[in-house]
Amino acid sequence: MESDLGPQTSSRDRLIFVVFVGAFALINGGLILSGRLPTNWDGLGLILAAGISLALYSFLYEDNALFKFAEHLYVGVVAAYEVAQVWYQNILTDVFNPLFRPAAEVGPEWVVLIPTLLGLFLMTRLVGRGVWLSRLSIAFIVGLGSGLVIPRRIASFILQQIGPTMQPLWTDGSFAIDAFLILLGVVSVLVYFSFSFEHTGVVGGVSRIGIWFLMISFGASFGFTVMARLSLLIGQLTFLLEDWLTLDLPLW
Amino acid sequence: MDRLLNIDRRYIFIAVFVGVVLPLLIGFDLPIKPTKNVRAMYDTIEGLNPDDGDTVFISFDFGPSTITEMEPMARALLRHCFRRGIRVIGVTLIAEGVGIAQNLLDDTAAEFGSQYGRDYVFLGFKAGNEVLILNMGQDLPGTFPTDIKGNALESLAVTRDIKSLRDMDYVIDIASGYPGVDEWIQFGQERYRFPFAAGCTAVMAPDFFPFLQAEQMNGLMAGLGGGAEYETLIGRPDKAVAGMRPQSVGHLVIIMFILFGNVAYFAGKKNRS
Amino acid sequence: MPFLQRTLPLIIAFVAGALGIITFYVPDMEAFETESATWYRVIFAFSMVLGIHSLLNMHWARIRRQEAGWGFSAVTWIGFGLMLLFALYNNGSGPFAPLDLKRGGMVWMYDHIQVPAGSTMFSLLAFFIASAAYRTFRARTVEAAILLVAAVIVMLGRVPIGAFISEALPTMSQWLMTTPNMAARRGILIGVSLGAVATALRIIFGIERSYLGEESD
Repeated sequence: MESDLGPQTSSRDRLIFVVFVGAFALINGGLILSGRLPTNWDGLGLILAAGISLALYSFLYEDNALFKFAEHLYVGVVAAYEVAQVWYQNILTDVFNPLFRPAAEVGPEWVVLIPTLLGLFLMTRLVGRGVWLSRLSIAFIVGLGSGLVIPRRIASFILQQIGPTMQPLWTDGSFAIDAFLILLGVVSVLVYFSFSFEHTGVVGGVSRIGIWFLMISFGASFGFTVMARLSLLIGQLTFLLEDWLTLDLPLW
Repeated sequence: MDRLLNIDRRYIFIAVFVGVVLPLLIGFDLPIKPTKNVRAMYDTIEGLNPDDGDTVFISFDFGPSTITEMEPMARALLRHCFRRGIRVIGVTLIAEGVGIAQNLLDDTAAEFGSQYGRDYVFLGFKAGNEVLILNMGQDLPGTFPTDIKGNALESLAVTRDIKSLRDMDYVIDIASGYPGVDEWIQFGQERYRFPFAAGCTAVMAPDFFPFLQAEQMNGLMAGLGGGAEYETLIGRPDKAVAGMRPQSVGHLVIIMFILFGNVAYFAGKKNRS
Repeated sequence: MPFLQRTLPLIIAFVAGALGIITFYVPDMEAFETESATWYRVIFAFSMVLGIHSLLNMHWARIRRQEAGWGFSAVTWIGFGLMLLFALYNNGSGPFAPLDLKRGGMVWMYDHIQVPAGSTMFSLLAFFIASAAYRTFRARTVEAAILLVAAVIVMLGRVPIGAFISEALPTMSQWLMTTPNMAARRGILIGVSLGAVATALRIIFGIERSYLGEESD
């Protein structure tokens, strides 16, 4: 079933393309004529959404012009949406309104000019000569971001994780196997990731135990990843069957 | 055996497609047992008091690419809150989430006759990621002087007396990536010590179990399965529960492929030796 | 110019970083922390525009040079232009009023292009993960076998059919997640956090300068 690029395969692909588009048009025609799809913007939107979904799914057969069209359209639409959100939710409310449409009792918030200027300095990356100005803005963002991260990371991801790792191994006269496994797992994984010394002898043995814990963790990750990807597929197929083809799917 | 191992991948695609579509079309019963982590979230919300004006703060940090996994759990959570009369304040840290969050809040509120401003408010989005969490933790009205509709926060019943995240009775982050649970814990829960829980995609869920054990969060909904458990708890099976049929069969199909691939590989290896 | 181009940014990074750390420990600096965080948000908003400019510029270059597939780049620009037009029109309210999220061309394009396309793109991965698992997931070593067994237990235990097959499966799956998986993740979390803190300190003290770009900029 793998396609070569010869003219015979190319004409087969063209036939598949024509059948695919023709079937899509026929199905939509049938849905509209039977009244299952409304003849308004909502109906057109459903057809467009279904068409884009199927065009993207056509990649499973092979890369083709329909897939590329849908992919590039998506990229352009998302980019504009992000720009709109940045304008309405950030620039308009945090810069424009405080400067040019402030509350009467407060007056213009001139201090907002500083981050605005730094933001405009970032734009100099688009211009050849002034690009060094953007370094000032980047330095501020990176520096502040780094400073914010250090104490918070230490507090939440290191200190608060060590305490629950060191649970008592004997409780009520019995050995707490889970607490022991947690302690063993954390220590052995940290030993595995310590590359300052050779993993031989006892260190090598502990490191190997760490690998086993990591393998269990990666297996769990794989299982959850399969679950996540299948969920997304279920959602899209549900949309195509229920919303587009208007089939009555059993709930439970 | 080598031919079986090198089968065209499109046959595998067809098997996955059939394995997911058939259970969607055919209904059958499968029991769903909520896990401890989901039940903890449910119990926390059950324990909130609407007469005291208890408020749940939900951050809808997901976009269209993960809507299938995240929307059912978000909807189940909102249904629980609105049914109990618990106030809800919504926000999103990602630009793509604004439309989704707004629709979710409005549609779910309408099911229970909940009113905007009196029962729920949506603040919208601002760029800044974890820094926004920091801002909201210190001064919520200063960070969002108005909600997404342009109403001043002090003019709305839900937000009138709220000064910061410290005033929230429960904070839930429903996240599919960055910014998400890690940022909420580092910049929010660690500093302001509010009760915190999360919903996340199944891919991310294994990463958050250390926070559960350290009691930095008290509950976790993972993917569509987590949503199905919550729908079961509130007694309102919907898309997540319906999704468990094709999910189950899909998992079986993939496990069969993995096992078959291994059998074929070892059988072929034995023949060659 | 070297002072403005190299030294001043390092000073700014040091001061901003030091303040970021200090504000965590000094309660009276909450107002400053809020203000600096607001500045961060505003500058970050401009950086998002920079990213989008880069994307559009790449597609424009393809159109200008009439490279293979330039027509698709034109589709990107058309999609961008239409969406932005509707966004600024804001269902008649214009760009200086709050954004209308219920009606209008932008909402229509969001609901019928952005949402289905985004969902479909990610759902394609389900097929590829099945294909990749069939071809490459082999229990060739003890470690790989442990990974495979853990994956199968979790995949069955997290869905209702697992309980249908055996009540032990959900229990085993939950135990795997809360004990060995949790321990491994905690080890990774602590290790990564130590690395992140070390990198952040290097940035603040000016040892790590790659974020400033090339010398010739």
